[in-house]
Formats: sequence, structure tokens, C-alpha cells
Amino acid sequence: MRATRRLTVAAIAATAALSLSACLASPGQSGEETDGADDPIVIGVSLPLTGDFAEPGKGVQRGYEAWAAHTNENGGLLGRQVELVIVDDQSNADRVASDYERLINQDGVDLVFGPFSTRLVVPAAQVAQDYGFLFVEPAGAAAEVFTQGFDNLFYAAPAIADDHYNHLADDILALPEDEQPKSIAVASMDDPFAMGTAYGLRDKLAEAGIEVVVDEVYPPNTTDFSGIAAKIADSEAELLIVGSQYQDGVNLVVALQQQGYQPQMAAISGAPTNAEFPAAIGDKTEGILAPTGYTTTAPYPSNEEFVEAYTAEHGTPPAEDEANAWTTGQVVAAAVEAVGCADPTPECQGQLIDWLHENEVETVVGTLGWDAEGRPQSAHLIQQYVDGEIKIVLPEDVKEADLIHPKPEW
Amino acid sequence: MTGALFAQSLVLGILLGGLYALLAAGLTLYFGVMRVVMIAHSAFLILAAYLAWYFHERTGIDPLLSLVITVPLFFVVGYGMQRFLVSRLRPISLTTMSVLLTFAIALTIEGLLGFVWTGTQRRVQLDYSGTSIEVAGVSIAVVKLIAFGLAAVSLGALYLILRKTSFGRALRATTQHPEAARLVGIDTDRVAGLGFGLGLATAAVGGTALSLDYTIYPSLHWHWIGPLMAIIVVGGLGSIPGAAIAALLLGVAASLLQVPLGTTWAQTVFYLALFVTLMIRPQGFFGGRLAQRF
Amino acid sequence: MPNASDLARASRPTTARPTAARVARIAALLALVAVVLLFPSLAPDPFILSVGVVILSYAVLATSWNLVGGFTGYISLGHAAYSGLGGYATALLITRTGLDPWLSLVAGGLIVAVVAIPVGIASLRVRGASFVIVSIALVLILQLTFQSWHTFTGGSGGLRVPRPFGPEVLRPEQHERFFYLHAVLLALALLTWWAIERSRLGAGLKAIREDEDKAQALGVPTFAYKLTALVVSAFFTALGGGLYALWFGYLDPIFQFSILVGTYMVLMSLLGGVRSLFGPLLGAVVVGYAVEVFKSQYGDTQFHLVATGILLGLVVLFMPDGVIPALTSFVNRRRRASSIREVSAEELANQREEAAR
Repeated sequence: MRATRRLTVAAIAATAALSLSACLASPGQSGEETDGADDPIVIGVSLPLTGDFAEPGKGVQRGYEAWAAHTNENGGLLGRQVELVIVDDQSNADRVASDYERLINQDGVDLVFGPFSTRLVVPAAQVAQDYGFLFVEPAGAAAEVFTQGFDNLFYAAPAIADDHYNHLADDILALPEDEQPKSIAVASMDDPFAMGTAYGLRDKLAEAGIEVVVDEVYPPNTTDFSGIAAKIADSEAELLIVGSQYQDGVNLVVALQQQGYQPQMAAISGAPTNAEFPAAIGDKTEGILAPTGYTTTAPYPSNEEFVEAYTAEHGTPPAEDEANAWTTGQVVAAAVEAVGCADPTPECQGQLIDWLHENEVETVVGTLGWDAEGRPQSAHLIQQYVDGEIKIVLPEDVKEADLIHPKPEW
Repeated sequence: MTGALFAQSLVLGILLGGLYALLAAGLTLYFGVMRVVMIAHSAFLILAAYLAWYFHERTGIDPLLSLVITVPLFFVVGYGMQRFLVSRLRPISLTTMSVLLTFAIALTIEGLLGFVWTGTQRRVQLDYSGTSIEVAGVSIAVVKLIAFGLAAVSLGALYLILRKTSFGRALRATTQHPEAARLVGIDTDRVAGLGFGLGLATAAVGGTALSLDYTIYPSLHWHWIGPLMAIIVVGGLGSIPGAAIAALLLGVAASLLQVPLGTTWAQTVFYLALFVTLMIRPQGFFGGRLAQRF
Repeated sequence: MPNASDLARASRPTTARPTAARVARIAALLALVAVVLLFPSLAPDPFILSVGVVILSYAVLATSWNLVGGFTGYISLGHAAYSGLGGYATALLITRTGLDPWLSLVAGGLIVAVVAIPVGIASLRVRGASFVIVSIALVLILQLTFQSWHTFTGGSGGLRVPRPFGPEVLRPEQHERFFYLHAVLLALALLTWWAIERSRLGAGLKAIREDEDKAQALGVPTFAYKLTALVVSAFFTALGGGLYALWFGYLDPIFQFSILVGTYMVLMSLLGGVRSLFGPLLGAVVVGYAVEVFKSQYGDTQFHLVATGILLGLVVLFMPDGVIPALTSFVNRRRRASSIREVSAEELANQREEAAR
């Protein structure tokens, strides 16, 4: 009897839940078939607003919202207003795919923007590709993203991770033989993006014959860096390369300071461009090098407009995550204006994709163009802490200060 | 491996092992008095670290002083947790159900930490964060030395409480044979509650020590509970000296193995030790008879 | 007080059953099958269909978990280890050896079943505590190794799983096919549960759950039985993980070897009732649906963890046999307070324990 009743309950509950799941449909979204010229263009985005990637995810959100507000103030896209639908994927790959599935099928969005983090871009891009959507993303820079066979994907930043240090590598190799560093110590977080940046520089220098004496990878959850620091300090490597996100970079630098290690050159990706970095390592930043895809002072035409609009709204100037989000908006907008359509049909999306493959776009991070797999074809700027402030030192034509070498002690 | 690097790694391993020893002692204490695998132990550890960080952030006073608040607070919470939650579970399925219950508490703490302080990584910023003293070519960070000292003192105090006080005798009696302890007039329920409070107090001390030199974030407790559980199994479930010895040995082993193997693979030493122990000596290497049946 | 013949009846539910109950049972089963069969054509859009696939996948995992958790009472918090391994084994067999996807799926399941043997030997010789500790440790160690072993598993960069169907099969159609594939796998898992329950093995396992010492004293080969249950459970969990991987198309160690996934399996089974065939399925539907709703309502906070934690805590404290069983027995008691009741050996033991206090 008990089994029967439970089976009945199960059957009823299953029926109820499955039919209830239809109620997950958000109301009032059935009218997308009749999109008129005055309806807003709806753009769907899934972002990690909670969980591990929440901090940068929120930066991207601010960038997207600032872009949408700015666009609407200036007449919208194709004369239509822009409306963002942003949902939270909890930093989870299963969720991000399900989010885009929902945005495309249920919310009936006209366009999609990409999420944050390499780990979430691939599953999201898969969904977009399956439905034929253009997928411009602000944060999937690792080389792996571009070898998965996506033809709808475009990265809205100057360069993929491996090319971030290109200017620095060229500069080091151009130094006279006796000034070049003789040995390299590398430490990177086990993360496609962090490893991409660090290994890009490592491999270019190693190819030129500079010896790699320490090569460490640590899992993202590492909090104790004293062991790695001990190895690096013991090696006395002249060049230190760190691929970090933020806090891990701080921790490693503090651990290295604790062990009295003094490199002649320190290239750290991720952490130093963060505004809180100097305070976190006790203001001993002088001479630290870092690549960046964006600075508020970069001399590109639309950048001034961006910094002004963003600062007016938020009171603080934008950082790299915000800029990449804004760039994503600019890239999609350029394609939409050029092709003259913004709807979910495969024809329109296909035209948008084709247009971006063939054209370049003026953005706040410079002029962007892409190869067939969606890799942008520029390079990152190299910044350095000079007199307590982070300044562009490479490439020569846009530099704000001269590169300091060797690095003062920390 | 050069001699200097070996010495440095050895010292780092001992410093880390000391912290592990204190935390594992607390974890094995719960098991001793209640047969409870307390998954939430490391969640409370992270909670204490957050409280120390928040205390420092708000007042600017050294985070060590937050101990004055967190230790009594955690003791009371631990006592209450045993008396009002764990003791409600059916005795017949206590071990497995208590795992689920404490697991649920761990999830709740993690969720609340994220809710209140977001997922951003936090770190206490002290004037002496980067300072170290050099002894015979080995540099020892001051913050690590303080953390180790704190752990050693607390472990010593725990040992004295268990050995020299009548409460300690009652607690050991409860651990060894609850029925017999009841027969000689020990209020085992109350003792178990106090034992739980004592265990949680070690998490408060450990968390404060942790906050001095480590980054903290809400899901960090998973990173700690794995090695700690391995330590108490290797040391023998319920045995505090066993846990302390296993913690030091494995801490040093992980630190030394990091040099040839790298950070990730060195971490696996805890889990390898766990599997090997269960395969060849399930009662643990340093522990008592208790573990055989659990 | 229940008497011996009631107990005997409770343990042999098939014999001497009134025909009306049997008819009701068959009707309910048919209704369940009909709902599953019709769901893809009733789903208003592909998103709902994909939610259906996820819920069925949860149901497969929870039912597989229950093969060890329900029968033996040994709680595994780390079953995500087996589903994750199943996903990776399937994907690696396809990409490394070029094996047919469906053969890879089955082979992956078998490999994981073999892996489960030493794990079981290490963790099942002693009682519950070590088993739980090993189950959690297994997830943590696999996450570490799969994350760092770049050359073999793709490491932190993740692993794309090739599609079993060609590009001409559009995404909504894929959802539909995988929905039915998951339904078939679920049916197989349920059938296995059903077959074990009425076998000698099932009787032995339940004896272990109620009182392992007595079972051993009565000559039940407890270790061998527990190990068998774990291996069968790992096999089905791996198939579930593998099938999901084929559908989802992408593996990332952080999400594959996640403590939270294992928690969901436990929560679903406990909610629906670990002692019953359809309990985990019911729990999966409820939790799967709740997760979806919770996400759309409170998506922007870490609150889902708190909700999961509190729900699990409440179930453990107040309804350790499951919410549905607790409700059903409450209704039963109200309706026919004087008539016969079914009491499990554990309930009896508790009554005795309470009386002795």
C-alpha cells in the first residue's frame, strides 16, 4: 500500500512539476514575433554575479549597463532603444548554458553578449552557435577558446592571453646581451587565462635561450604561497613572471617579500592593475610590470567619451572589465548599424557574423579586427609602477614614462 | 634540492603542521566524545577568520585581539550545537546523520559568509605582514611564527585540560566508554556538550591564526576539511596525540614534496595517506581502539 | 504495537496484495510513463525541454546514489566523483581512442565501476565514518588531479565532448533525444533497484542498514554485499554523468567534481525517501524544480547555499526517512489510527531505545 501511494504521489508531483515548469516562462515575452520598429532591441546576457567570478562579473555588468544607458541617450541602435536582460549564472558552467538557452528561447532576445571568464565562455558560445547567434564576449582570452571551432565568436579586447606581453618580450630581447635577464622564474595560477599570459612571455624568452629555472603552477584555491616563494627565492632568478588573478598575486608577492627575494624585473599579470594592489603589498610596487588591455588615458577617439560617461554615472573611472564590456557593446553596435538588422533570425545573425569577420571596429581599446576563429589582432599595453603610479611604458609611441630596469628592491 | 631550500621547506612544513595539529585536535575531539564527523569544523574556522578580519577592518586593532570575543562565543555555540542539534539525532544512525547535519551547517555558513561579505577574497593587512626574521639562513615570517605559537599554546592548554582537570578525566572517560562513564556518575551529555564547545574553540583560535597570513573566502573551508579529515584518520579517530603527530608529519611531508612535485601534487599526499591508512591499518597509525569500529 | 506478521508483510510487499491496490499501482506507473513520454511534445520551448533533461539527469543520479545510500544506509557525499569520472571517461575514450560515443559511454561506466572497487575496499571495511570521509576526499582529490593534469584531461581549460549526433540534428532535437535517453537510463536504474530489492542481496543489504552487527552475526557477507552495492551504484552514476556530458558537450573539473552536486543527490534521495523505489525520482523533480525557481527568484545572492543547507538540516533533524514518507505516515496515522501500521526495524529499534531511556 505504501509503495502504491508513494508512486501515486510521485506521479502526481512529476506531472505537476513538469507542467508547472511551463510557469518558469517569464510573462509578456510572447510578442517578439511582432517586433515593430519602435520596440526596444532586447539583448540577453548571463553574468557571474554570485560565486567565484562575482567581482569581475559585476564589473562587466557595470560596463554593459553604462553602454546601454549611453546608447539610449544618444538615440539607441537603428533608432530603437536598447534593453538589457541580465541573469546570474552563479559562476557555474551548467547554469550559464541554461541561461543562454532561456534568453534565446524564452525571453526571445534579439542579440546576446558574452559572459565573464574563459571557463564560462565555451559552454555559452556553444549554445549561441547552435542557435546561430553572434557571440561577442568581453572575457574569454585563453588560447583554448579559439580552437574549439566556433565561427560566431569574437573577443572584444586587443589580444588573446598569449599575446599580452608581446611588447615586453620584444623589448627584453632588444636589450644588450649583458643587460638581459639570465634566468626566469614562472609561477601561475592553474587557470587558462592566467597561464596564457605568463606562458606567452615565458615561451618567447625561452625560445631566445633564456633559462627557465622555476616553473610552478598552483591551483586556484591556494592560499599558502610560502613553498613556491621558497623555491623562487632559492633559484635567485633575475626575471619573475607571475600569472595571477588578483589575490593570489598579492599573496605571492608578500610571500616573496617575506623571504627576501629581489628580482631585477617582475612581470605580474592580473593583480597590479587593480586599484587596491599598492596598499595590499605595503606600497612596495616600484618597478612592477603588468600588461593591460585598457587605460583611461589611452588616446582612442571614443575612449574620452566612455571615461566621461562612465565617471559621470559611477563617480569613479572605469577599469578593464568595464572597458571590455563597453567594447563588446561597441563591436555589436557597429555590426548592427552596418548590416541594418537586429533580430534573432539566422539570416540577420549570419550577416552580423560575416560583417565582423570582414571589418574592423573603432573601440575604446583601439581598432579591433579578428581572424577566422575570433582572435583579435592587436597587442596589450605594458604598464609599470613609476614613482608610485602605474604608467604606460610600452610600446614607445604611446608611453607615459620610461621603463625602469633593473627594478628597485621591494 | 639545495640545503637551504630543504631547511626552508622543513621550517615552513613545521609551521604549517602546527596549525593543522590544533585544528585536527578539535576535529578528533568531537569524534571522541560523540562519534560525530564534524564537517562544519573548517567552516567555523573560516568564520572565525572572517570575524578577525572584520574586527581588524572596523577597529584597526590587531586581529589577534578578536580572540577575546571569538573563543568564548564559539565555545557557547559549540555547546549549544551539541545540546540542541546533534543530541536530537537518533542514536542508531548518529554517525552518518551527524555528517549530514554538520555538512548542512557548513553549507549554511558558507552561504551566509558569501551573503554578508560577498565572494571577494579578503586578507588582513598588517604592518608586519612582509616582515621576517632570519635564523641560520632560513627566513621565518613573523606572522607565521605568531600563528604557530598560538597553535602550540592552545594545543598545550588543551592537553593540560584533558590530563590534569577533573573535567578532562570525565571527558576521557566519556570518550573511552560512555556507558561506564554514566555508571560512575558522569553526566555524559553535559561533558559531550562541553567537549564540543572546546573543539569549536580550537576553530576560533585556528581561524584567528589563519587570518594573519592567509587569504580567506567563503568556499575556502573545503580546502581545509579534506586534509584535516585525512589527518584524523591517519592519526586514529578520536586520538588527540595521534592527530597532532599525523598533522606535523603530513604538514612537513607536503611542504617538502612541494619542491620536486609542485603545489598541486604535493596536496595529494594527505589523500594518499588517507587511502593507504584505510587499506593497511584502518584504525590509524597512532590512535586507540575506537577507530576500528567506525 | 505491531506484531510479527505485520513485519513479515512489510518486508514482502508483493505477496497477497489486494487487486485494487495493484491496479492503482499499475495505473500510477503508466501515468508516470505517459508524462515522461509526452513531456517533449508538451514543452512550450527548447529551454523548458532542457530543464526537463537536467531534472531527469538529477533523477538518474539520485536513483543511482540510492542504490548504495538507500540499501545500506551508508551516506556518500562524494558521488559527484563517479558522475564526473563517468563524464571524463566517456569524453576521453571518444577523443583519445575514437571509440563510438555510445560504446564509450558504457565502457566509461565499466571503468568507473572498476575504480570503485579499491575505493570500496578502503572505505567499507569499517563503519560509516570512514566511508563518508573517503567519499568527500575522493571528490577533492579528483578535482585536484583532473584540474592539473593538463596533458591528459585538458586540465583547467576544460574538455569539449564531441557530439554523438551530427550537425544536422538541431539543438531542440538534441534535447528531445537526450531527454528520452535519460528516461531509458532512469528506467534501467529503477529496474535494477527493483530487482535488487527482491533478491537475496537486497535482503542482506537491508539487514546491514538496520543492524550491521546482527546481520554479520547471522552470516550475511556484509563486506561483499556493501561492495557490490557501491560498485553497481558507481556504474549507474557514471552512466548518468557520461550521458549528461554527451548532452552538455563540455567538462570542467571544478563543476564535474563538485561537492554541491553530491549534496544534491543526497538531498533529493532524503527528500523523496531513501527506502522507496521512486523516492529519489520524486526528490529530483522537487529539488530540480526548486533550484530553477529559486534561481530565477533570488539569483543575485548566495542564498541558494543557505537554502540548501537549511533544508538539508531540517530534513536530517526532523524527517530522516524523507519528507514524503513522513507526510504519508502522518496522513496514514490520521486516517486509520487504529488499523495496522508498517514499522521498519529502525523505527522499532528507536522505540526500544526511547523506552529504555
